[in-house]
Amino acid sequence: MMGAVPLLSEHDRLEARALIESEGLRFETDADDMVGLYEGERLVGTGSRAGYVLKMLVIAPSQQGGEALGELVTLLMQRGMDAGHETFFVYTRPDNVTTFERLNFRLLVTHSMAALLEIGPGIREYLDTHRALMRPGRNGAIVVNGNPFTLGHLHLAETAARRVEHLYLFVVREDRSVFPFSARFRLAQEVTAHLPNVSVLETSRYAVSAGTFPSYFLKRLDDAALAQMQLDVRLFGSLLAPPFSVRVRFVGDEPYCATTAAYNRTMEEVLGEYGIEWTQIPRLAHGGAAISASRVRDFLGRGDLDRVASWVPPATMAFLRSPAGESVIRRLAGAGEGR
Amino acid sequence: MQIRRKATAGTSQSSDLMVVVEPSDTLSIEIESTVKKQYEHLIRARIQEPLARLGVTAARIRVNDRGALDYAIDARVEAALRRAAEE
Repeated sequence: MMGAVPLLSEHDRLEARALIESEGLRFETDADDMVGLYEGERLVGTGSRAGYVLKMLVIAPSQQGGEALGELVTLLMQRGMDAGHETFFVYTRPDNVTTFERLNFRLLVTHSMAALLEIGPGIREYLDTHRALMRPGRNGAIVVNGNPFTLGHLHLAETAARRVEHLYLFVVREDRSVFPFSARFRLAQEVTAHLPNVSVLETSRYAVSAGTFPSYFLKRLDDAALAQMQLDVRLFGSLLAPPFSVRVRFVGDEPYCATTAAYNRTMEEVLGEYGIEWTQIPRLAHGGAAISASRVRDFLGRGDLDRVASWVPPATMAFLRSPAGESVIRRLAGAGEGR
Repeated sequence: MQIRRKATAGTSQSSDLMVVVEPSDTLSIEIESTVKKQYEHLIRARIQEPLARLGVTAARIRVNDRGALDYAIDARVEAALRRAAEE
């Protein structure tokens, strides 16, 4: 068996696809990189990387138990580091956990259907970076995408902040939304700056991310999405909440989006196992309709800035009138929707 | 030796290690190993030898070890350092 090599040609990738599907895995087309392992002319192993997520790792039965997985993971990581990544995730079946642990992956979270592991500086570095923000007490957390930040988000933050000693407002780090992360984060900070017991921080890879919950960005609600929600919520309960002493997670009720509503229900069902309360706060309404960022994006797409102005705080409005904001509005008016 | 850029050496194979070296203001060594419990102090000592030999005093070094022998550790660390110094 030779060392792992990149799969570059269409022919090689089709062969990999056949191997992936022969093992009962779904072939996904979002890979940034694919590598393979040959015995003679025959492809006997393959693996892919999409961003920082290693996926579609498949090894032919004849090669299992040997070094094939190490070969594939080595090459994917080397090439992934060249592409600027340091930490890599792998999402796999629970019975594969020890196989990846032998390669020095660390288990983040597991449940009956799936497991999530990582290799690299990962969650340790994330927690080290945010240590200065950690406070003892009965604290709360909200996770928002803030795409863009609305008066609804502000209402949720203000209501939650009154009920806990300290509130952590986690902003989704994943840059897959029409409003860029830098703008979403800065607006969350500016709009909540008057609340003395609120800290704004980014979620990195550890909540509502391409690693924990990719279906969120696809608006797809299927068994895979439900399994991802379980992992996302359990990861929050076991690894993110304890260092920040989070005892309550707050959400706004979700009248519009089925995926977010299912995510809220998963939290309600699961967080108790980790000693965390789940509190749903009714949405702020304006003009008879519940304020939502997705509706704000609809208004922006139609050029209805007057409606938007009554649903978002002044800082968000100021951003929308900046050149960066205008380019977001142009994108919304063009191709359509981005969560 | 001055560490100028990020560089790697080695593999995730059994009996090997993967080393990532990158520029930093201080010297730090992070070790992940399948035999960390028993041998972390020995691995750390072994990593310090090529660092001392090449005069590296500031770098972030991350090691992902799968039970590599001493001379493999030494060689992989030196290779990563030389690449990171753009020699």
